[in-house]
Amino acid sequence: MNAFGGSRTALRLPRPLHPGAWWLWALGMATAASRTTNPLLLALLIAVVAQVVAARRTDAPWARGFKAYIILGLVVIAIRVVFRMLLDGQHGTHVLFTLPEIPLPEAAMGIRLGGPVSLEGVLAAFYDGLRLATLLICIGAANVLANPKRLLAAIPPALHEVGVAITVALTMAPQLLESGQRVRRAQRLRGDAPGRVERLRRIVVPVLTDALDRSLLLAAAMDSRGYGRRAQVPTRTRLVVSALVLAGLAGVAVGTYGLLDATTPAALGLPVVAVGLLLAGVGLSVGGRGVRRTRYRPDPWRAPEWGVATTGALVAVALVVIGGINSAGLHPSVQPLEWPTLPPLATLAILVGLLPAVLAPPVRPPTPRRRVAVDSSAASSTSTTGRGARASSGSDAASGDDIARPPVVVEVRT
Amino acid sequence: MITFDHVSVRYPDADHLALVDVELHIDEGELCLVTGRTGVGKSTLLGAMSGLVPHFTGGHLSGRVVVAGRDTASHPPRELADVVGVVGQDPLAGFVTDDVEAELAYGMEQLAVSPAVMRKRVEETLDLLGIAELRSRPLRTLSGGQQQRVAIGAALTAQPRVLVLDEPTSALDPTAAEDVLAAITRLVHDLGITVVVAEHRLERVVQYADVVAEVLADGSVRYGPPAELLRDAAVAPPVVHLGRLMAWEPLPLSVRDARRRATVLRQELADRPQPLRASVRPSGAPLLATRRLSVTHGAVVAVRDVDLALAAGEVTALMGRNGAGKSSLLWALQGSGSRHSGSVSVDGRDPAELPAAEGRRLVGLVPQTPADLLYLESVAAECACADQESGQPTGGCAALLDRLVVGIDHQAHPRDLSEGQKLALVLAVQLTARPQVVLLDEPTRGLDYDAKERLVEVLGELTSQGRSVVVATHDVEFVAAAADRVVVLADGEVVADGPTAEVVVASAAFAPQVAKILHPEPWLTVTEVADVLRSSAERVAP
Amino acid sequence: MALGWQPALVLGVVSLIGAAMFAWPLLLQPPDEFAHTSDAPFVFVLILPMLLAVVLSEVHRGGLDTKALAMLGVLSAIGAVLRPMGAGTAGIELVFFLLVLAGRVYGPGFGFVLGCTTMASSALLTGGVGPWLPFQMLAAGWVGLGAGLLPCHRLRGRAEIALLAAYGAVAAFAYGFVMNLWFWPFTLGAGTQLSYVVGAPLLENLHRFVLFTLATSAWGWDLGRALTNVVAICLLGPAVLVVLRRSVRRASFGAPVTFSPGTASAVPARAVLASALPASSAVAEPVDDGTGASPLGRAPGDRSPPSA
Repeated sequence: MNAFGGSRTALRLPRPLHPGAWWLWALGMATAASRTTNPLLLALLIAVVAQVVAARRTDAPWARGFKAYIILGLVVIAIRVVFRMLLDGQHGTHVLFTLPEIPLPEAAMGIRLGGPVSLEGVLAAFYDGLRLATLLICIGAANVLANPKRLLAAIPPALHEVGVAITVALTMAPQLLESGQRVRRAQRLRGDAPGRVERLRRIVVPVLTDALDRSLLLAAAMDSRGYGRRAQVPTRTRLVVSALVLAGLAGVAVGTYGLLDATTPAALGLPVVAVGLLLAGVGLSVGGRGVRRTRYRPDPWRAPEWGVATTGALVAVALVVIGGINSAGLHPSVQPLEWPTLPPLATLAILVGLLPAVLAPPVRPPTPRRRVAVDSSAASSTSTTGRGARASSGSDAASGDDIARPPVVVEVRT
Repeated sequence: MITFDHVSVRYPDADHLALVDVELHIDEGELCLVTGRTGVGKSTLLGAMSGLVPHFTGGHLSGRVVVAGRDTASHPPRELADVVGVVGQDPLAGFVTDDVEAELAYGMEQLAVSPAVMRKRVEETLDLLGIAELRSRPLRTLSGGQQQRVAIGAALTAQPRVLVLDEPTSALDPTAAEDVLAAITRLVHDLGITVVVAEHRLERVVQYADVVAEVLADGSVRYGPPAELLRDAAVAPPVVHLGRLMAWEPLPLSVRDARRRATVLRQELADRPQPLRASVRPSGAPLLATRRLSVTHGAVVAVRDVDLALAAGEVTALMGRNGAGKSSLLWALQGSGSRHSGSVSVDGRDPAELPAAEGRRLVGLVPQTPADLLYLESVAAECACADQESGQPTGGCAALLDRLVVGIDHQAHPRDLSEGQKLALVLAVQLTARPQVVLLDEPTRGLDYDAKERLVEVLGELTSQGRSVVVATHDVEFVAAAADRVVVLADGEVVADGPTAEVVVASAAFAPQVAKILHPEPWLTVTEVADVLRSSAERVAP
Repeated sequence: MALGWQPALVLGVVSLIGAAMFAWPLLLQPPDEFAHTSDAPFVFVLILPMLLAVVLSEVHRGGLDTKALAMLGVLSAIGAVLRPMGAGTAGIELVFFLLVLAGRVYGPGFGFVLGCTTMASSALLTGGVGPWLPFQMLAAGWVGLGAGLLPCHRLRGRAEIALLAAYGAVAAFAYGFVMNLWFWPFTLGAGTQLSYVVGAPLLENLHRFVLFTLATSAWGWDLGRALTNVVAICLLGPAVLVVLRRSVRRASFGAPVTFSPGTASAVPARAVLASALPASSAVAEPVDDGTGASPLGRAPGDRSPPSA
């Protein structure tokens, strides 16, 4: 761990990891998953991801959805296998059983339902389904580990307005639920409305009216608190921005065409898309420079973040490279049937993905070994998931002027 | 600091001016109290200071408004954000983020304050307003008073030189309002910040004000020192009314001042007959009776074994701090709220066992946010709907409404009504079902003195028709004027129950201003004092 | 809230590219075993978020002021709350109903952004962020955009409700269709008779896809969504439209903001007012609230300036 700089204690203090780092790691793992259909490797990948989730998940509301993603993965596999059984297009030699055949009408291109179900077909569908399920689970891991609100706070300036709209939405949503319950209760005081629609209307209309009325108050509050202050952008810059964005979009359009139609030279595909995106990106960032604002306590990007993100990238690159050299181990054959094996290099690469379970700072403070708890009464009540935990990281506090020092809570769990 | 130079404002599509030729000058470090009846343009005056009028609302402003040297014509609100902080009525509606720290920092982020300075100011503000322990709480879970203090803090972090507050306590209960107003006066005294506050709970702020600006009905504004201006202002707290009655000079603005002036009055009143209050009412069988009524919310016992009997022709005030179980009790009495055990009987029937439409013929409830009951596009439509759902002839509700409140526009959208009018509309809707027992939950929230007076009259009418009325409220002045009987709840149990004067005069928390001034004499309102003085004067005269 | 030409152009171009990305299974033309072709869908997953960023940033700069932004946030919140409500039952999705009505009332640009922000907020609330999110955002954006582009702006009453209900049904099917199309090769995998065949002629793949849609989602999710839309628009539409239109009126978007300097107090105040106020533009000179003296100025197009 010390290889990533910073002292051991600095790494171990609990703080939430930058959400971007979790996403980069998860996307790396997902990329790795997309490169193989080997069920053993995929199972290992799922195990690795699940282990990291178990080690670094908080008890925040968004951190509870991992199970849903696992179920979703199982559903995906089931859909694949069932469809393959019903609509098997390529027969294998090992017939498991035969379903009754139902011929479909002419319009259905002579598709027939049922027929012999081969082991090869089912296995191929299972492998493929498992790969997609693994991808989903990797993304689920990111959803569970990364705080969506902090992710929103890290949005680039060009998208500031959209970010604000979504922030407002996230803030309002629980309030709306409460106001819906309140209105429902109140409406019963007028007697039960005849019919379900009428009852729904009696809830929807007051809630919606109330919410929209409040949006005006919110807008006034935002205006008078300085929202939307922008530096004057000179006309020439504005023209340049427009030109950049439009040229970039044109590039992306051409590049997309190139990607889709491979009869065009390969250079017309990805490179042109990349150049187009770059142009548009530069345009956006120049346009976004007019937004003058600062960020309160931004999530730091330090050694643990580098470590977690690099881990993901390493796993992805390793699997891509291994697949490029020898793809046989990554894609076990189903025709002819073959037992999948664990290729040692790929296995090792996937195990690297386990590192964030230790690299990322813990979500709960470590149990003190030598020192006695300083003030356990003050410590135990503070939540470890929110900002309370971050107050103790200390180093991002303002520099040494005469600050009314924040009541830094020494969090010690015994 | 703030200068209005012949300012007039006209909103788009309006046929009259909202403000007419306003001349106003507020010096640095002053606390300016803006008063006036509801709907006369107080908000426009405050909005003009922050630039929201007309930049945000649209409209035409003639004349010049200069705040801290900046002309609002060339500075939209966002360019004034570093000199003017704005706090609105409903703090929750103005929050952009969802936890306390982020909200405090939001304004500074927009002003591009450097991160180190932001961090420092957030910590200072947390301490200044005494909200440090709330720092990582979601704003939604805070109480109203805490939310309003966060909103003030959020305006302060930008270190404005002027703080503009538009009725900051109108949506709060008195305890929370007290907290907020204490915080505001501390800002004036400790930080020297210029504060402009529109407020209708004058009794709490007027003694701290340096200037009072009164917006008159025609949109013009007059301003001056409080003691002078309040002598004939349209809106005044009870202490001022008593002062005017007694022609005290200079006009007392606080209970302390008035009490020192009232020595003679107290002696005089001591010999007079006690005010005629319905302390003992002849009542037969109670209209509504509960037996060991209990309400639980999860593991919390909100109401515990309450036995209550409500007589016809009686206004009962239900008092107690937030969370004492007032609302739970009202909802349980009405029958649509949850109930753990016990029974309610109205005419031998239990409203909870009847369908909702039947139950409301026995007991009508006006909830804390009356607008929740309204969902149609016009007052007339709401009234027609109320007639229909109560099985009454058409026009009944509309006629009732006109009796409750004068001059309501039946084509208006219910949401555009003032708080008092909304309350009247919902009360009319509920009364259309002709319930014998009427329950009101915090009806005085957001009402000005006039609307409260009107409500007192309305409650009097209701009881004279043989109904029984229960009002859950924090408003001691209202209780003093309206209630015959006070029931104090604490922790879900009844801790005091008796005639208003008995319960209220002895209490430090629930005594109205007049009772505090005249203690130990049991007079509660200026009207009572005026009546007794007049009657004795008449007796002396012949 | 009309869109300027530039945001409209950007929106058009991005929609075109986006459409190609949705329809990639039909358009993909690999001659042989070129490696980069099979990567196309994965590349698209990376490109689309950036395209969305470009278009959202442009539309915002092109005419959504603070009031519109706050409304956007509130309506997105309502959508995000409504979305998971019927998720258990087949296709009962109330989001689209609100999206159609809001698009109609607030216009195409707002409708598009609302579709995007609704999906994004809902995903953030429920932990559903993933590669599919940009596609959902774009498709929902189109639903809102289309509602804003519906003809007959003066239409009111039953005719308008009928128009919106019909559009709602079409939009619900279209949304399901494009989302299915994009994910079809992944849903089914290769090898079944309804599977996507790389490089097969467009019509053949389209045929397979139509059969696949008919066999799977068309009669469940899509039909459910369409019915929900129609029923909700017919029953709640009139009331909700009134509420939304009232909010537009109350917000007084683009209401003229004008100032006139006070005249010297030598003139009697009433006289000054009489001359300055009753819409006599000779005295009331409109002041654009950002030019000149303002130290920071204001964003271009932040609010439509009063027409001087």
